Amino acid sequence: MLGVSNKQQTNATNIPVVFNMANFLVSSVHDMKNSVSMLICGLDKVLTSAEAVHLSTHAELVQMNHEAKRINNRLIQLLTLYKLGQKIYPFDPQSICLDDFLRTTVAQYAQLLKFHGIHLEVHVHPDLYWYFDEDLISGVIGNALNNAVRHAHHHIVISASECEGKLTLRVEDDGDGYPVELLEGNGNVMQSVNFHGGSTGLGLYFSAMVAHMHRNHGSRGELHLENGGSLQGACFVLHLP
Amino acid sequence: MNINPLDTSTPAAELNFSGKNVLIVDNYMEMRSIFRDILSSCGAEVKKIHMATNGNEAIAWLKKVAFDIVLCDLILGNGKNGQQVLEEAKHQSLIGPACLWIMITAEKTTEAVTGAAEYQPDAYLLKPVTEASLRSRLAKTWAKKEAFAEIHKAMKQQDYAKAMSLCDQRLACDKAHAADLLRTKCDLLLVTGEYDRAKQVLEGILAERDFPWAKAALAKILLKKNDLDAAKCLLEETAEANPAYLEVQDLLAQTLQVMGDLAGAGNVLERAVKLSPNSVIRQKNLGQVSMKLGKMEDAERAFRKSVSLGENSALRTADAYLGLAKACSANKNSEQALKVLGQLKKNFATDEVRVKALAVEGMIHQQSGNSEKAKQIAGEIGQSIGDSNVHPDSEGALEIARLLMITGDKEKAIQLLQREIKNNPESAALLRDVAEIFDQAGMGEEGSRLIETSRQEAMLIMNRGVLLISKGQYEEALSAMRDAYAVMPANIRVLLNLAHVIITYMQKNGATSELIDEARHSLQTANELSPGEPRFIRLTAALNELTALR
Repeated sequence: MLGVSNKQQTNATNIPVVFNMANFLVSSVHDMKNSVSMLICGLDKVLTSAEAVHLSTHAELVQMNHEAKRINNRLIQLLTLYKLGQKIYPFDPQSICLDDFLRTTVAQYAQLLKFHGIHLEVHVHPDLYWYFDEDLISGVIGNALNNAVRHAHHHIVISASECEGKLTLRVEDDGDGYPVELLEGNGNVMQSVNFHGGSTGLGLYFSAMVAHMHRNHGSRGELHLENGGSLQGACFVLHLP
Repeated sequence: MNINPLDTSTPAAELNFSGKNVLIVDNYMEMRSIFRDILSSCGAEVKKIHMATNGNEAIAWLKKVAFDIVLCDLILGNGKNGQQVLEEAKHQSLIGPACLWIMITAEKTTEAVTGAAEYQPDAYLLKPVTEASLRSRLAKTWAKKEAFAEIHKAMKQQDYAKAMSLCDQRLACDKAHAADLLRTKCDLLLVTGEYDRAKQVLEGILAERDFPWAKAALAKILLKKNDLDAAKCLLEETAEANPAYLEVQDLLAQTLQVMGDLAGAGNVLERAVKLSPNSVIRQKNLGQVSMKLGKMEDAERAFRKSVSLGENSALRTADAYLGLAKACSANKNSEQALKVLGQLKKNFATDEVRVKALAVEGMIHQQSGNSEKAKQIAGEIGQSIGDSNVHPDSEGALEIARLLMITGDKEKAIQLLQREIKNNPESAALLRDVAEIFDQAGMGEEGSRLIETSRQEAMLIMNRGVLLISKGQYEEALSAMRDAYAVMPANIRVLLNLAHVIITYMQKNGATSELIDEARHSLQTANELSPGEPRFIRLTAALNELTALR
């Protein structure tokens, strides 16, 4: 998964090369994640105090907090992908109330949205329940939301609905839409991932992986990228069986 | 419906924890103060929020105060980790079913989702814990606790009929907890032995969705019905689709063991241990299978791991110590083996364990060439099981028989083995172990004959009472079952049948306190030997009804 061999190697002089790069990478990610967690908690605490709003650096703090959360999400994605590759990810689908789920997910972005002056709407029926791994899908929606915040002009809409026996989650913005190259690879997001093309690689790869993991009675989850939709911008569409 | 994310009137904001006792367990001061601030913003009073920086402090607090909410980090530095604190708290009943326990983890681990079910926290929360995430998790978990409060209470009182009807009532109106309610209902049907009904419910659930837990439950039913091939098939398929769902792997290993495929069971356990190396019980099981396979080094490693993991855990077992001692001895390290037995005696002080440890000690001396000492110990054990009411469990009895056999007291060994066969005539695994002991003593053929006659004899008298009852011969049934009990005092089916016959007799002829006591004693013995048998639960309910009528 990380492009590092797990096998123990022996070099010419017969000194065993016992170190395993994957293990170093994974434990470093762990270690960084702990620090980033503390950083986020600290910033959150500062930002929730009433005086913080009057600080001249408040805007910077909000942005810093957001960046720290982004780093944390990326690290979680790396760890999760590693575990998926090793078949040790404890996939744990539960019955989830979409209303609660989306409320909690978007609440983490409230400050950032306010900061950017973006209006977010969530469309969901309060009685809609679906069965999925909450941590994974929350990572996926967080990703899409991050992307949308970066590219939206004024407006983002998130919706959840049941359609032909599947759950459809849409994250739409009023930005300029996805680049054509990304849309061309549609239907196979994994193929369109370009590790040299900036930041889209890991997030999309992760989201597609997560979609595929969700299965029921022979059908599996899918990820689609479109342009257009209700806001005439980018639409990130996730179908879960 | 629209949600404005800046609107704070989320359901989580309605939490009110005033008057609640809260415990925060975390080794980082910053984290403790963050949690305290969030909880106090949910209405908890600061003077009722207590802090612990490690496992021992947490246990000390749990002994002092009845907590309503515990927030506990999984990793606590040296000593107990969060999971071990929870295990001990539940094991020692330091927390009641109403206490809400949230485990905080840096990442989602296999153990976190698939530990021993009865020692699971109410929820896990991944770091970083923000105010929004903690509030929402608290609100959700609190609502679930309330939804299940009455059901759990009935379960604790073993009033399964009531628990089941409460489940049904809630299922009709509570969509938020429907999935958990259905699962609980299936668990209840399994506990009470209503396998056909459970199967029906499970098949209905599976028609909607591929739940791995439902498949595991279906496999359990197949196991109970002794349909081993079907159970194996279903478990393999489920394990393939959900490689990190370890309960399925454990069940598969158990099935393969019953089928006599030790190598297969060993492979499955080894794979599971690689995924999740920190289970006290799984490491012990792996040790036992490895030992039977003659892989003594693997056995020693697994037992050692189980013992060291168990150090801080309520789940530690005497069997892991005994296994480790045996493995060390087999690996020619008798000194180490005796040391392990010393530790065992310090940690487990019951007569049953003492006798079992003594038998292992005898074997260690025998293996290290000190047959005089072995003989002396064998004599000591022969005495103590002869004239006291020490009843070692099956494994202990076999251990003793092995020692007696090897030190020359074959007659006593055979007696002991015959009794074990009669107590467990339907356990293929036990019969295999007994045959092996005979084989090692060079009396394979004689052994097979002895096993077969003892088994047949047991099977014959085991069901006599029930047969007589069905013919309406109540007096004869009662005396037949009492005779059977005299010969097979630790045979579960005999114990349950005796209770059944007494209860049926009383239903016909009226209850007396002597008969009630006799039935209750019989049921309790059965439950000690094999806790939670569905028939035990049904018969206890029937007996309670009779007692209430009196």
